[in-house]
Amino acid sequence: MIKLDAELRAEIELHAEREYPRECCGLLVGRIVDEGRTRIIHATVPVANIFAEEGERYHRMAIEPLEYARAERHYAAEGLGVVGNYHSHPDHPAVPSQYDLEHLAPWPTMSYVVVSVREGEAVDLRSWELEADRSRFNEEEVSTGEET
Amino acid sequence: MAVTVFIPTALRQFAGNQAEVSVEAGTVGEALDKVTGEHAELRRHLYGEQNALRNFVNVYVNDDDIRHAQRLETPLKDGDTISIIPAIAGGAATEAEVGTTSTVAAVELPTLSNDEIARYSRHLIMPEVGVEGQRKLKAARVLMIGTGGLGAPTGMYLAAAGVGTLGVVDFDVVDASNLQRQIVHGTKDVGRPKIESARDRLNDINPHVKIEAYETRLTSENALGLFREYDMVVDGTDNFPTRYLVNDACVLTGKPNVYGSIFRFEGQASVFWAARGACYRCLYPEPPPPGLVPSCAEGGVLGVLPGIIGAIQANEAIKLILGGGEPLINRLLLFDAWKLRFRELKLRKDPACPVCGENPTVKELIDYEQFCGLKPEPDAAQATAETEGGRMEEITAAELKQRIDRGDDLQLIDVREPNEYDIARIPNTKLIPLGQVTERMGEIDEERETVVHCKGGVRSARAIEALTRSGFKGKLINLKGGIIAWSNDVDPSVPKY
Repeated sequence: MIKLDAELRAEIELHAEREYPRECCGLLVGRIVDEGRTRIIHATVPVANIFAEEGERYHRMAIEPLEYARAERHYAAEGLGVVGNYHSHPDHPAVPSQYDLEHLAPWPTMSYVVVSVREGEAVDLRSWELEADRSRFNEEEVSTGEET
Repeated sequence: MAVTVFIPTALRQFAGNQAEVSVEAGTVGEALDKVTGEHAELRRHLYGEQNALRNFVNVYVNDDDIRHAQRLETPLKDGDTISIIPAIAGGAATEAEVGTTSTVAAVELPTLSNDEIARYSRHLIMPEVGVEGQRKLKAARVLMIGTGGLGAPTGMYLAAAGVGTLGVVDFDVVDASNLQRQIVHGTKDVGRPKIESARDRLNDINPHVKIEAYETRLTSENALGLFREYDMVVDGTDNFPTRYLVNDACVLTGKPNVYGSIFRFEGQASVFWAARGACYRCLYPEPPPPGLVPSCAEGGVLGVLPGIIGAIQANEAIKLILGGGEPLINRLLLFDAWKLRFRELKLRKDPACPVCGENPTVKELIDYEQFCGLKPEPDAAQATAETEGGRMEEITAAELKQRIDRGDDLQLIDVREPNEYDIARIPNTKLIPLGQVTERMGEIDEERETVVHCKGGVRSARAIEALTRSGFKGKLINLKGGIIAWSNDVDPSVPKY
């Protein structure tokens, strides 16, 4: 499960709409509880899409590893860290693609949020986690509840 | 050197919840070995097979990627910080990839009427299917090859499940001997084209399903055009030429091939999808020599077996449409109904596969009858065999009857199996099953003319070839059309089976 309050959700959706028709991407900072089963998100960190080929950025994204490292270091003092990421699928469903499975997917403890943007408007936000054997993504619950 | 290894937040639970671990190490590889030596689970998330770092794992010494230094051999100095950072990249599916997560993922999904919601409620209440899954089923287009033993249950379950469009290819007519297993057809349908009978039954099961019927043989000429119109193909064929044709056409059009086959008490099932794993040719590069593997018509089949295998095919087709579960990709399921055992073999894509490998040689559909070593004439019962020395001598049932009535001195050899002999026989024949025919050659009198028969004329032709090769000197004549022709043309009291 991922806990994402309405304000953070709006940040992600706005970022996705701003970048449309390109893909946006960002990191989700927070804490992992319940032995890896729940991520509580405290902040979103929009990052640049550094996918090498500019012409492909409308359907491809990549996050600069040093941005990831910076976010980890920046939030470490607060006991927080990178626990997930988000990206948008312009004019595609909020479902991870095979490309995502092969490239996006480091570890099963993280959340993978995908936002579907159609004609400039964020229409769907769903979150996924990786199966332990890395074979597929399973959808996870997006909770807007306050931190417990 | 005393260095600090920074553990990413996502992996801390595998490292005793520590953010940093201090170790003494001379190189990056040594430092990571020390940290992961104490935490096996952490190692599994960083290293893949052959003990190599997983390709998405970046390692930085301070701010430098070790790929730009000496990788795991990169030397360390006192006070260095090692960071483990995953590479994150992704993207929406391109048109070509849309089929790879779910076969209908990016299609605009149709809505469900209240009637449909009532009908599919047992699906809808399961999150693995749900409304979206049911809409995917409705949007799906599945092509079934054959409405026989396998096609009957797959068609019925796919129709019941709400697959929106079912394409059905068959050219055959319902025969009484089909009814023991082809449950989509009924007694009243005997003599009707299977395609009509199947359409009526499937429409009755679920009128929401659109049936697209093709009363034709699947051929190298029509397969590609047909397959392109569908999301996947369910193979319910009973012969090797069509099976290779289905496989190759699936590879060439990028469609998954939901495969099943049955014989006597044994069945197989798999999902051959070249984009994600092995194809049928990776498993069986060459067809068996003609005649080595008997067809169900020759060897028999337990009626319920295609029900089990066909239901598994329907299950796999539905999972591919939903894009969930663990499909039978790269797995061959083997089922033995007599022992009631399931086994599973792992399959691997063959890089040298002639159709889906790295350098394919098959780039268009070929002549599959020829590939499988069969004569162009597809109706095996009508096929005339030739011996190595020339054309095999044949006799029709009516001619045989005339010669017997005339009092010609003929010996009749029946090369079928004893249980077939129990069902029906031609009077005054000697039973020597095909498998024993050469070792029991001495029981056949070389001085007399010999007529050899089986059920349809194929096994007897093979027996004649085997006898000739083994040096049999007497005159051998094949009964054209076997005991079936005898029943049709001479003695209708002999039951057909």
